[in-house]
Amino acid sequence: MRITQNYSKEFEKIVEAYEKSGGEASKILDKRVASIIISGDKIIGLNSVDGVEIESGKMEKGVWAKIKILKGKKIEMPIHLCTGFLGKEGEQRVNFDFNVEEGANVKFISHCSFPWSKKLTHKMLATVRVGKNASMIYEDAHFHSESGGVTLISDTHATIEEGGRYKNSFELVKTRVGALKVKMDVDLKENATAELNSKVRGRKDDEISIVETLGLNGRNAHGIAKSTVIATDETRARIVNEAFGNAPYSKGHIECNEITKGNHVDVSTLPVLKVTNDLSELTHEASIGRVNSKQLNTLMAKGMSEEEATEFIIKGLLR
Amino acid sequence: MLELKKVGLSLEEKPILKNLNIKFDDGKRYVVLGNNGTGKSTIANLIMGVEKYKPQVGGVYLDGKDITSLGVYERANLGITIAFQESVRFEGITTFDYLTLGGKIKASYEDAKWALKSAGLNAEYLKRRIDDSLSGGERKRIELASMLMLKMRYVILDEPDSGIDMMSLDTISRIINILNSSGTTVITITHREEIAKNSDYAYLICSGTVLKEGAPADIASYYKRTCDNCGHPNEIIESVERL
Repeated sequence: MRITQNYSKEFEKIVEAYEKSGGEASKILDKRVASIIISGDKIIGLNSVDGVEIESGKMEKGVWAKIKILKGKKIEMPIHLCTGFLGKEGEQRVNFDFNVEEGANVKFISHCSFPWSKKLTHKMLATVRVGKNASMIYEDAHFHSESGGVTLISDTHATIEEGGRYKNSFELVKTRVGALKVKMDVDLKENATAELNSKVRGRKDDEISIVETLGLNGRNAHGIAKSTVIATDETRARIVNEAFGNAPYSKGHIECNEITKGNHVDVSTLPVLKVTNDLSELTHEASIGRVNSKQLNTLMAKGMSEEEATEFIIKGLLR
Repeated sequence: MLELKKVGLSLEEKPILKNLNIKFDDGKRYVVLGNNGTGKSTIANLIMGVEKYKPQVGGVYLDGKDITSLGVYERANLGITIAFQESVRFEGITTFDYLTLGGKIKASYEDAKWALKSAGLNAEYLKRRIDDSLSGGERKRIELASMLMLKMRYVILDEPDSGIDMMSLDTISRIINILNSSGTTVITITHREEIAKNSDYAYLICSGTVLKEGAPADIASYYKRTCDNCGHPNEIIESVERL
């Protein structure tokens, strides 16, 4: 790990924030682990390993990084991306370009932690290319402040080449959300697969917007997009899951489950399925409502109060 | 003693239970027999206090005290529990978490392992999640194991044999006997007369009321002889299915 000397204090704070979000600090200090540490508008730590090429730089109000996994390389240890913002107010922009070359295999663990921000806009723009027969897993966990003042805007466009595999998970469940706008679209080529999984828990007057799109553009491409949203208090949530079956034998499934708790929530889900090739097959499931009464009764009959049972069920859903 | 006195219950204006009188003494094994749709599961839900199953007439009494107005949680705190007929899925929750209610029940891994083994499942299941990856039969066994963990005064088993193969009748009997050996009153709701053999007292339900009661062997024999091909319960089945 190369830590820019001037930022050693900042590094300590970022590590503290990283651990708050559930990250393991030992991983980002391990020389065998590729990692990028971003604080505000600068990269304060960077480590690369064999098979990984990282270019990075500054841009207005933020940073950019191009991460390439070289052809055929299997990266043993997950690459850690740690993004933090130590100030109380401001804007942070992060542009990522991921390129997993043919036959390569990699997993990313990303933690975005803004525990002290009162009014922050974090904008993340990502392009992903998973090459032929390559595999990429991207796990993204967020930890925001309890003020509700964080606005997160995330826009990802992924292209999965022939036989490529892509798995993306997004989680914002431990803290307040603030305002969230997540947009992700995946272009799947022949025999490519993608699995998108989002889990978000809204509290107070949080606002949640998730739009996930599967473009099944190659023969035998398969995709799943699943969103689980827990909306409590006055949370507003709009979830759109889309799947487009444009190629023969492509299969897509979209699913949205929204659990509501409280009389003032405002939630909606919109599944969109469109087929332009009659050999394509798309399905969807969607539900909105309180916690299932059969589950509640089962737990209450064992001595859990309604509140305890609801929390127990929700924690399970968000795991 | 747990008692249902002169209970009348209608669902969507259809009468389901009519002038029903049942008593459950402490420390005994009871079986409530009857064809599908005669109102047996309604009795189970009514004893547990499930919201839709409040009687319009009569009431539920525990040790002489009227508990009719109490909900499920309050009744559980009085020592009444149930393994519902349908064992629901709990996404993301492991069997161990479920059996210990996320730590609410202070029990060791060994306790949970023993309970599962008694229900016919091995310790590997403790780590598994109670979701689509388990069959209905497996979830049913986990539910039976949870009854052992709870240490309640009254345990209602609503159709414990549904979704489980015939070989598992031994498992059900074992669970009933373990519960009963520690003083728990077990009330088993079933339409299988074989289950009645492992009980101390039996009620036969027909069209929402007690048709006969007494020694399990006699009631089981009467049930087998008389209740097959009986057309009485159809109305009730239709009403319950609409819920």
